[in-house]
Amino acid sequence: MSTSEPAIEASAVTKEYGDVRAVDSLDLTVKHGETYGFLGPNGAGKSTTIGLLLDYLRPTSGTVRVLGHDPRRDIVKVHDRVGVLPDRFGLYDDRSARQHVAFVTETKRVDEDPAVLLERVGLGDAVDDDAGDFSSGMEQRLALAMALVGDPELLILDEPFGGLDPHGVRRVREIVHEETQRGATVFFSSHVLGQVELVCDRIGVLHEGQLVAEGTLDELRNRTTSPDDATVEDVFVELTDTRVGDEGEPR
Amino acid sequence: MRWSPLAHSEYRTVLTSKGAWILALLVVLWGFRPTYAGWDAVGRNITIGYIQIGVDLLLPIGALLLSYQSLLGERTTGSIKFLLGLPLTRTQILFGKIAGRFVGVGTAIVAATLVLAGIGLLEHGTFGLLPFLGTLVATLLLASAMVALGVCVSTVTRRTVTAATGVFVYVLVTLFWSQIVTSLYTAVTGIPVDPYDAPASGPLFLALRLTPDGAYNVLTNWFLNVGNSTELFHIVYTKLAPGVSVNAFVVEAAFDGGSPWYLHPSLSLVVLLIWVVVPMALARRVFTRGDAL
Repeated sequence: MSTSEPAIEASAVTKEYGDVRAVDSLDLTVKHGETYGFLGPNGAGKSTTIGLLLDYLRPTSGTVRVLGHDPRRDIVKVHDRVGVLPDRFGLYDDRSARQHVAFVTETKRVDEDPAVLLERVGLGDAVDDDAGDFSSGMEQRLALAMALVGDPELLILDEPFGGLDPHGVRRVREIVHEETQRGATVFFSSHVLGQVELVCDRIGVLHEGQLVAEGTLDELRNRTTSPDDATVEDVFVELTDTRVGDEGEPR
Repeated sequence: MRWSPLAHSEYRTVLTSKGAWILALLVVLWGFRPTYAGWDAVGRNITIGYIQIGVDLLLPIGALLLSYQSLLGERTTGSIKFLLGLPLTRTQILFGKIAGRFVGVGTAIVAATLVLAGIGLLEHGTFGLLPFLGTLVATLLLASAMVALGVCVSTVTRRTVTAATGVFVYVLVTLFWSQIVTSLYTAVTGIPVDPYDAPASGPLFLALRLTPDGAYNVLTNWFLNVGNSTELFHIVYTKLAPGVSVNAFVVEAAFDGGSPWYLHPSLSLVVLLIWVVVPMALARRVFTRGDAL
């Protein structure tokens, strides 16, 4: 892939579940090497969009390209170069953290020591513990370690701060920074807005399945009536004023 | 192969489960039943008959129970999101699941077979190697058919209760298969079926041997050389013995002289292969289309 090619490109992507339109004519471009924050209230369609990027779900219409490939046709090429931290995932309770990471290194055919990756996410003391005994924060760290296997060109992190204590949140931020320094593109969804401000180059705001705003934080401030020192939260609330807090995001 | 780590993980899941070893134990306990009829039928090869008795009843349900959760369980817990994030096509995921579960179930069932063979060797002495090997192959083929069916159920259903119901229905239908087939036969043709004196109908006998366990019995009876039937070997022998009346469908008893070519026992191999291939193809068709979550 040439570096000028976008890491993610979605054109007019729509995903319907019966009468419900979870994603509505979405156009989205994430440039190579950038850190893109994908924001939206609960139920906005963030996880659905991520599912479409990874071919977990198939769009009703529109096209998706990830790292220059159609994820549906070239799933192996795409997933070989993408690291995924899913939202609302489950682990294999009777497997150790090491076994979880080794499963990914073996399938991706990379020669990486699971213990090193687990140390990196702060699970150095729990390498051989069963995931069934993990707290939600530890589960999140383990999932991040699995996403980091093989130095992926693109990291797709769905709510990476979920369940983490402040130390964990900081560690994730540091890792995102390290990964972008290495040249990786990071795409993550979140509704933890303070973190987005600290990490992202650009922000896209999804609301009711549509991208209602996109740009740097400054650009977003300028698009709204928010003052110049407005936080992401102020901007976010103004952009997604209707039906905020509507629970029950479609899968 | 890309999917071998997945297959290995599935294999491990089966063999670290209590279920696999309970299945193996039950096959041994249920299978080992020395009878005069069995001894009269096949002599020392009764050891191979033990395998038939244990496997015929318990392997189908055991293999289904050890595989019907394979994909559905990952959907329920959400671990499927990691699985789908790996560089594997959906077809490779299915292959990995089926191959791994098959090797797991196969290991447990081969262990049970070897234990039965060991007991038989001590109790009755040596038995025929060729019929034993043939039975072993048929057993593994039945295991692969049932695992393919279990993973298929796991793929096409979205709720555990639906999948469990599917397994239950399958077990009931195959258990009462001869009653179902004879009732349908009578309804269609108007000819009553007396199992003590079955009509020499090719289609009737063909229908009886279309289930995986029926095909398995036909094959193993062929290897044991007792007769052409879906019944257990000692029942087939008793049916064909002069002066005994038994309610069992045996080709040689119903057809004087030649029976239709399609009732040849070797064709039960094809029946088992169809039971391997069709569920796999159906699972693949469903899983590769549309949303995977």
